[in-house]
Amino acid sequence: MRTFLFILTTSSALAANLPPDHAKRMERGLKLFDSEVAALLKQNCLKCHGGDKVKSDFDMATREDLLRGGSHGSVVVPFEAKNSLLVSLINHAKEPNMPDSSPKLPAEVISKIEAWIDAGAPYSTPLIAGKKPKKDASVVTDEDRRWWAFQPLKKVQAKSIDELLLKNAKGMTFSPPAEKAVLVRRLQLDLTGLPSSETSDKSDLSDLIEELLKSPAYGERWARHWLDVARYAESTGFEQDYDRPFAFHYRDFVIKALNSDMPYDQFVKWQLAGDEYEPQNPLALAATGFLGAGVFPSQITANEVESSRYDAMDDMLGTTASGMLGLTLSCARCHDHKFDPLPTRDYYAMLSTFTTTTRMNVDVLPDGKVTSAITTMNAKKNTPAVAGATRMMICAEGYDPIVMHTQGGPFFDKTYVLKRGSPLMKDGEATQGFLQVLSKPGDAKRWQWQPPAGSKSTGKRRSLSNWITDVDGGAGALLARVIVNRLWQHHFGTGLVPTPNDFGKTGTPCTQPELLDWLAAKLIENDWKLKPLHKLILSSRAWQQSSARDAKKEATDPANGLFMRFVPYRLEGEAIRDSMLAVSGVLDPTMHGPGTRDENSKRRSIYFNIKRSQLIGSMVAFDQPEPLVSQGARPTTTVAPQALMLMNSPQARQWAEGLAKRSSGAGDAAKQIAMTYRLCFHREPTSAELATGFDFLQSGASLADYCQVVMSLNEFVYVN
Amino acid sequence: MLARAGGGFGMLAFASMLEAAKNPFSPKVPMQVGGKAKSIIWIFTNGGPSQVDTWDYKPELAKRDGQTLEGFDPKTGFFPGSVGGLMKSPFEFKQHGQSGTWCSDLFPKTAMHVDKMSFIHSCWTGSNNHSPALFMMNTGTTRMGYPCVGSWVNYGLGSESDSLPSFVVMSDPMNRGLPKGSAANWGAGFLPSVYQGTWLKPTGAPIENLAVPASITPQRQRAQLDLMARLNRQSLAGSAIESELNARIESFELAYRMQTSAPEAFAIKDEPEHIQKLYGVNEKHCGHFGKQCLTARRMVERGVRFIQLYSGGMENQQSWDGHKDILGNHRGFANESDQPVAALISDLEQRGLLDQTLIIWGGEFGRLPIAQKGAQPGRDHNPHAFTVWMCGGGVKGGYHHGETDEIGFKAAIDKVSVHDLHATILAAAGLDHERLTFKFQGLDQKLTGVENPKVVKAVFA
Repeated sequence: MRTFLFILTTSSALAANLPPDHAKRMERGLKLFDSEVAALLKQNCLKCHGGDKVKSDFDMATREDLLRGGSHGSVVVPFEAKNSLLVSLINHAKEPNMPDSSPKLPAEVISKIEAWIDAGAPYSTPLIAGKKPKKDASVVTDEDRRWWAFQPLKKVQAKSIDELLLKNAKGMTFSPPAEKAVLVRRLQLDLTGLPSSETSDKSDLSDLIEELLKSPAYGERWARHWLDVARYAESTGFEQDYDRPFAFHYRDFVIKALNSDMPYDQFVKWQLAGDEYEPQNPLALAATGFLGAGVFPSQITANEVESSRYDAMDDMLGTTASGMLGLTLSCARCHDHKFDPLPTRDYYAMLSTFTTTTRMNVDVLPDGKVTSAITTMNAKKNTPAVAGATRMMICAEGYDPIVMHTQGGPFFDKTYVLKRGSPLMKDGEATQGFLQVLSKPGDAKRWQWQPPAGSKSTGKRRSLSNWITDVDGGAGALLARVIVNRLWQHHFGTGLVPTPNDFGKTGTPCTQPELLDWLAAKLIENDWKLKPLHKLILSSRAWQQSSARDAKKEATDPANGLFMRFVPYRLEGEAIRDSMLAVSGVLDPTMHGPGTRDENSKRRSIYFNIKRSQLIGSMVAFDQPEPLVSQGARPTTTVAPQALMLMNSPQARQWAEGLAKRSSGAGDAAKQIAMTYRLCFHREPTSAELATGFDFLQSGASLADYCQVVMSLNEFVYVN
Repeated sequence: MLARAGGGFGMLAFASMLEAAKNPFSPKVPMQVGGKAKSIIWIFTNGGPSQVDTWDYKPELAKRDGQTLEGFDPKTGFFPGSVGGLMKSPFEFKQHGQSGTWCSDLFPKTAMHVDKMSFIHSCWTGSNNHSPALFMMNTGTTRMGYPCVGSWVNYGLGSESDSLPSFVVMSDPMNRGLPKGSAANWGAGFLPSVYQGTWLKPTGAPIENLAVPASITPQRQRAQLDLMARLNRQSLAGSAIESELNARIESFELAYRMQTSAPEAFAIKDEPEHIQKLYGVNEKHCGHFGKQCLTARRMVERGVRFIQLYSGGMENQQSWDGHKDILGNHRGFANESDQPVAALISDLEQRGLLDQTLIIWGGEFGRLPIAQKGAQPGRDHNPHAFTVWMCGGGVKGGYHHGETDEIGFKAAIDKVSVHDLHATILAAAGLDHERLTFKFQGLDQKLTGVENPKVVKAVFA
């Protein structure tokens, strides 16, 4: 109904603007255009606005594009020169003065352009011969839906990953399988991030996969991958960077969910709307920490209240879109997405999901009751009044929001469509809807969830979660593709789509589309459980290939998009540190709970407290990303601060001494060396390595000096 | 070869999973004509110094002292409830140099250099609040998490130093806090982290893990590195990522060298006495800033690309944020920095380095020409106007660009946005802001956004 009314008013307004003598005026305008104005526009404007460039998104090549305007909004109002921005700009009455970086146009030129606009600004032909008007990006067409990522999953007939890879292998075959010892270490690091010397090489690989997937260390390792995507941190960022002392429950939720093999669709649903699914389940509540993990200013002036609220909602939506759907939806905040069919109105329809969603602390009481808890930001020492209650930060509705130093409220009752993203340019209220490209007209109702009477929330987030997980007409197929790609990426070092947060046209194309769809379908078949997918991938010939150099394959397929070899990759900072703790025998396996920023901690690195202004030095040095926006893939840099940390930090030294202590009991120097290699690399040293180490120890160096070197070796920090 | 190959702090090798530039070690965009600066020193006057009390002389404001500013929107500043009348500057203005540049008496020594400086009086920004305005000034957006100017320059120009970080940040050593938003002001955002600023800790060892621990001797460490290289090379044969692994071996050698060369760069005690005196490093009122300015010069000599030096701590009386007692506040921070800044200019000049070193002086916004009421009146934030000056690096001397209105409230003539300013800074370093791009979230991201910013060409000689 609302849409209908809107169209009515628009068309009547247009009709009212059309002067009665418009036909005559247009005729006059055409003559002006042909005789002079076309040439003037070509000479003075077209180069930057439709020719070489389209500056400020304003294209003058065709009349349709001219009238559409640019990033400054409407530029030409036909029949109304004095209301046309263009006229103000060329008269230097408004900035930016036009033509840019050129002298002002002569008065007679300006008056001709004005006269032409007053005559309706008609074109007899585009200013560039044959140029077609740009497609209206606010309308999503069937053509748009044809982009592979928006298609339903293809039904791919295949028996295995290997079969599909070989089909595309351009005549190549897999590299030989890696040695058993290499595979055991590769598996350990991949699944748990911890080397262990206890596994026998004789054990069955399939059993080992099962065993490692059951290990709680699996969740700790893989949760860290998701925390990058969730731009997870435990402080507000901005000026005071206040701690969020009850935010760590979200991190624990991710670990627990992965360890219990929570179906991925449920994992997504709970992160968006856990409180609307199970309002009394602490785990479901904690999951909503996903929405609240982003930055938010702690000091907000009166004229920033509204814009900062839109920023906060954008953070929730943008992270949801890039993290779960691989879409750069935030680009559509100010203008229709330039490459993908994501119109601005879709953005605001989605954004309105979060209108009343804010961060809040709640106490979950032992009897399942949930109450509002402290609302001040810096609430370190505050503990729940009821014994046995758990205090956690959630991001939901219906409890008391955390209050910042603000000259306004925590949220507004309505979300508006904004022109150019500016709260000063409201364009009607936004009502909840979903991406047109991943739904059909009139479908929105299917996903709408009405909360029961007396519910604390609006049901909008659960509605969103229904759509996002719906494989049949919603976003579910894309959701599945994006997560299986992330699994692949962390097993192989590169995704099937190498840009894991961008499945749109600006991303890098999928190298194995059939395989991706086949895996996505497998995930859904397996009730969205991730562990069977891990096992499927890890059991493949592809994953078990040797990483030995093959010059011919490198030449044919430098990026390894065909996956006919295994390329070694460096471990993340967390796994490097955790490995050092593990081999030195001092690792404290305590799970969950509040973290610490003490580098001397002996717990796994995922339990570092993440304060945005005081990130952990050893993690940052090894490329842990700043937790500001969703990060799908970390860069791998090799820089001197990493070496300094391994050479000089008190921790590295301490762990070296720990490793030395473990090796020292093995016997003589040769045995100590062998033990060190077994602990660190799950193999025996070669005779050359043995001799080199022996010489070093014979020269009077300590075993700890030796162990520190071994823990710094390439082999220690790379998955081979 | 390696010595010139760095892109960041001791950077040797870089394999990006992002679609980064093909060769991260080389300059990303060709130099354009006019860019002379090889290094940039940004004296960031944190908190927002008042233009009308420093470099923007407004006799009309004195005439209208005490009058109400009609039509003033009380939300312009931070404290809508403390809006006072127009307030003349409590400082005395005099003309200096051949250019006859008007300066307040806050900077007697720096004012001697006005004929080498270009003043942009018509700067304006988009936020009236410290951290968004700081982010704007440093990263071109009011939101947190974007790459800062230093990172872009670092990314664009690469590094000339093999033993020092190529982008360093020095903050207030007087225990008055960091600028609001702290490390996000020198973060690399979506650029690879090698391009982020290295914050030199103001007290204690400036760089993490630089010193060989007491439990081990340099000789033993040397033996360790030799062993490491030998073992690494033994397992290198046949590796598919040989160059990456080789780079890792080299990174340990570089780190080893840095252990001696980096402390040497910080050793201002090695400077001759007359130089120490010039910067006032032993003076109580300005010694701390003098040491930082002198360190900045030593870094420029050693090929550091971008040095950001924060004058003042976090906010209010801890920084240039003179909400109350503008007189005492500005007098204090000017006293701390005047002599060191003047010394930096003279010293770079006498070494022939001023032409290739751009010095920028400015903060995140300006201050209002009206009083912020209180026992000792101050001035509230003003996003509409502030002055930035530049010196060296091919910038014209004694030049004034743009104007504010007659009371210094708003930029009025030849307005310069923060994006314009950034485009100009990049141009000074020979970088074309339209071509210095990095692909992120599917787009070619730029420091200067999409609104066609303009280089203020007039400041270049």
